[in-house]
Amino acid sequence: MDINQITNVRRFENFPKDDMNALALDMTHAVYPHDEIYGPTCSLEEYVDCPPDEVFKYLADVRTLAEWTYSLRDIEHVKDDLYVFTDKIGGKTKCFTKVESNAQARTVDFHCSWDQGDHLWMIYLMRVIPAQLVLNKPGSVVLWTNCHHPFYDKNPHPELAPDGRKVWVGDMWPFFYAGHDVEMKNLKHICEARHAQGLPIVPEVIA
Amino acid sequence: MSLIDTASAMPERVVDNAFFGLDPTKSGSAMFKGTRERRHLAKGETAASLIERGARTLGDRLNLNFETDVDLILTNVSLPDSCFMGCGASVSRVLGAKPKFILDLHNSGCVSFVYMLAVAQELMASGAVKSALLCCAQTAAGRVFAHEENRVRPQSAVPGDGCGVGYIVANDSSPIRAVVQRSFGEYADDMIGVTDDNAEYWEPHRQALHIDFTESKIATVVSRGNKLVPEMVREACKLADLPISKIDVLVTNQPNVNFLRNWREALLLPAEKQVQTFEEHGNMFGAAIPVCIERGRQTGRINAGHTVALGGFSHAGDYAAAAIWQPS
Repeated sequence: MDINQITNVRRFENFPKDDMNALALDMTHAVYPHDEIYGPTCSLEEYVDCPPDEVFKYLADVRTLAEWTYSLRDIEHVKDDLYVFTDKIGGKTKCFTKVESNAQARTVDFHCSWDQGDHLWMIYLMRVIPAQLVLNKPGSVVLWTNCHHPFYDKNPHPELAPDGRKVWVGDMWPFFYAGHDVEMKNLKHICEARHAQGLPIVPEVIA
Repeated sequence: MSLIDTASAMPERVVDNAFFGLDPTKSGSAMFKGTRERRHLAKGETAASLIERGARTLGDRLNLNFETDVDLILTNVSLPDSCFMGCGASVSRVLGAKPKFILDLHNSGCVSFVYMLAVAQELMASGAVKSALLCCAQTAAGRVFAHEENRVRPQSAVPGDGCGVGYIVANDSSPIRAVVQRSFGEYADDMIGVTDDNAEYWEPHRQALHIDFTESKIATVVSRGNKLVPEMVREACKLADLPISKIDVLVTNQPNVNFLRNWREALLLPAEKQVQTFEEHGNMFGAAIPVCIERGRQTGRINAGHTVALGGFSHAGDYAAAAIWQPS
């Protein structure tokens, strides 16, 4: 198969530079609608003045979610590597959580779900990058992406909600950028404060 | 200070896309995007003659006596009729005007109309003048871009010649609520006139003068323009104590369809609230704003009581300005 013949594959060989420039001009707007940028996926990134291995260790420790997230609290172990928090924005809502991390790549993926722990579909993909490589300065760059899973739009198990709960996590999708930015800044400020004072980034006991 | 009205004067010669000899189905045709035709100055036609024509149309419409009703003449001409001096004095002579001041501005190009409002406002505030004729003429299309060596350059299809003249007076009948203007020296020199034989423009040379926006700067100029113009309009709105949601009509310079779209989007305005003539006139540099104001009034899109935002930037971003106008 000639990849240059595939519709919408644009390469130097089949898409001249003038056309590429024109396309770039057309695609470059002064402003972008929120839904276009944060509708299908919600990606954000932040610089953290703390060494990448420390930030990775902090993120990869499931207990620290009780620190840097806005509303996950009161961790309990369920079984194996599955934990459950109370998500305070949902009243007594349980949020089941499993961490899959890779120290070499410094990726930390949080597999979560409200109300049940059998199908963890709310997945928070994070990656820590040495700032020395990408910004030529010490510290870390943290990337964080969520994909707009269809369950955000429709709760697959409304029967599992605690009595009287009126909110569904996906109702807040339009606020995900804002909410995650607040949490990303929490992560940044906590790590930076501890690093600046020479304290362990991951405390022995998490309140 | 009031902007009473504007009038246009266009060269007779209409040039369609075929003139440039580029195959619109081939690479590079994107540069034609949004243009159908444009006007070119003919040999012997001058900026002064266009300005005279525009001023006379305006004078007839407003019943002006140029001898007594024009204290100040401001001109901006993209490629001047003559070296050394601007054409303000010629314009004054042919109109029979007796202005106290003539200023031939050789800066602020595409946003010169708004820049002139700022200059006139200061002179009016000092009490020196009570009325002014603002004259913006774009002359480079026929003079430079029509040259047979330049015609085939993708940039050449975009400019169009034209002229717009505005009349302002020191009263509150059709008020300019706010004017803001700023210069950015750091963006000077990003757009220059060059010849392929590397001669200075005043030196004898065999090859045609053309404009150089170096390729490496295109993305920078695009993002600069995207940001500057909405910022200036927002600032003018703030000075006028109006939210941007109160803008009824947006009129800017018209460098290309992308900037027109981006500025409108950045100010959250639908296409019907923007007056522009890009398809018909191309990039008229400084003449676009006064020409489009006349178009807006003639087509009923700018009416008494409207809040009209005027804005733009020049060259590669060395000047930017905006104004809020509430016509009577």
